[in-house]
Amino acid sequence: MADDKDVLRDVWFGRIPTCFTLNQDEVTEREAEPYYLLLPRVSYLTLVTDKVKKHFHKVMRAEDVEEMWFEYEGTPLKWHNPIGLLFDFHASNSVLPWSITVHFKNFPDRDLLHCPSNSVIEAHFMSGIKEADALKHKSQVVNDMQKKDHKQLWMGLQNDKFDQFWAINRKLMEYPTEEGGFRYIPFRIYQTTSDRPFIQKLFRPVSPEGSVHTLCDLLKEMYPVALPSDGEPKRYQVVIHGIEPLLETPLQWLSEHLSHPDNFLHICVLPVPSD
Amino acid sequence: MASWKNHVRARLQQRDQTEKLPYLGVFTSLSQLEERFEIRQQFLDDVQSKSLEIGGFEVGRNIRLLQLQLRESEHLEEKLSQTVSDLTTVLYLKEAELQHWQSRVSRYRQEALTLAKGSNTLKATLSEFEFTAECQSKELAALRAEQKALHEALAQALREKEELLQRWLQEKSEEADRLNKHNEIQQRWQRLAKELKKHFHREMRKECVPIVTSSWSGETEAPTSVIQRIKNTTDIHQGRSDHNHVSAVAEV
Repeated sequence: MADDKDVLRDVWFGRIPTCFTLNQDEVTEREAEPYYLLLPRVSYLTLVTDKVKKHFHKVMRAEDVEEMWFEYEGTPLKWHNPIGLLFDFHASNSVLPWSITVHFKNFPDRDLLHCPSNSVIEAHFMSGIKEADALKHKSQVVNDMQKKDHKQLWMGLQNDKFDQFWAINRKLMEYPTEEGGFRYIPFRIYQTTSDRPFIQKLFRPVSPEGSVHTLCDLLKEMYPVALPSDGEPKRYQVVIHGIEPLLETPLQWLSEHLSHPDNFLHICVLPVPSD
Repeated sequence: MASWKNHVRARLQQRDQTEKLPYLGVFTSLSQLEERFEIRQQFLDDVQSKSLEIGGFEVGRNIRLLQLQLRESEHLEEKLSQTVSDLTTVLYLKEAELQHWQSRVSRYRQEALTLAKGSNTLKATLSEFEFTAECQSKELAALRAEQKALHEALAQALREKEELLQRWLQEKSEEADRLNKHNEIQQRWQRLAKELKKHFHREMRKECVPIVTSSWSGETEAPTSVIQRIKNTTDIHQGRSDHNHVSAVAEV
């Protein structure tokens, strides 16, 4: 179990070195220096970029500043997805540090949600947790929690406090031993080859015959193309938290250990880089 | 540990070796320096505006430096007190977690004790049942042996009964034969007696006169008594023969 806790720590303390550069079209009083930041993989862009905003505000006039948003190689970055997922999905095979362009104008309303304050992120985060618990325990655990427990989950994420967060989150990871896992696994599969935002369906961690479902079983049912065919070179990478777990990894274990703080298992299916 | 678990751990560490560790030192230093620079900048602005009011270049410079150091110390103190506060929170959390685990351990221990008690009770019940089953199995074996002996005795009794019945039937058959033979003899004897009687009467009629004469002389007694005796005997045999014939038929 100590080793499993190490996995939780490694997941929580995953960092991505990032270089924020102001978009060239922004009007500035003087040249804006890039800003370097180690981004927590499990957090949200708009939650950890106060310093970035402050840094660029220094060189801009107040009247030129609108809502901040981020873009990578022309693609607006959805702040409501965890940072690690954004990186794996858009830039996993790019050179580090990850280069993000910062914008203060022309907010892409069609692509991004507005994020006027941290309370919006909190609401989004809590709704994710509630949705995941509805799948895992028919909402029983999250509904039994007190308001302060909900607050502790959020504060744990906001202040990057692993112990504070896991003191409560472990309740969301419990399940009756005789059932062998959660009711359904909260997961989302993101694919680059489709306009569909993600695949999310009901999937149990244990088959009706009692055998443990693995990552392979999940993909076989949800996205069979992602699985390698016999005798053919691998076409897709299945990435969670920047790594490729073995396909025989039990889904229940993955859900307990490799889920994001919103309790969802965010799985990226990416084409294998050609070079 | 399972290979898939080892794989995940190894890959997470490998990921951090690539993404995190090479940048951690320089990014942290940069961040700290930026923070320090900002604070110093801010403090310096504050101090400069105040020292201008005091006046005197050299004195003002020393005071500025002292004030800067003071503000920096105050800031450090604030940060340290924040760290202490954070650590205290973590401590409380850890204590709460410890209590939670202790309560769970105690609950599981209690459950284990209850289960052990239950197990002991079940074991005792099981051994009682085993003993009862053994006794009942012995009783069953004894009863089976007894039943077998009784079956054998019954078979023997049936055989004997059959034998006796055969013997009785044979005896009855022989008895009936004997009776029939006896009846036949009786019938023959009666027929003969009848013929003898007839014959005697004929003889008597032939010799009637001399006999009557002799009866006068007191010798008539003898022939009368002989005839009477034969008649009586015939009657007796006749009655017995009838009776025996009926009973033999009835018994057969």
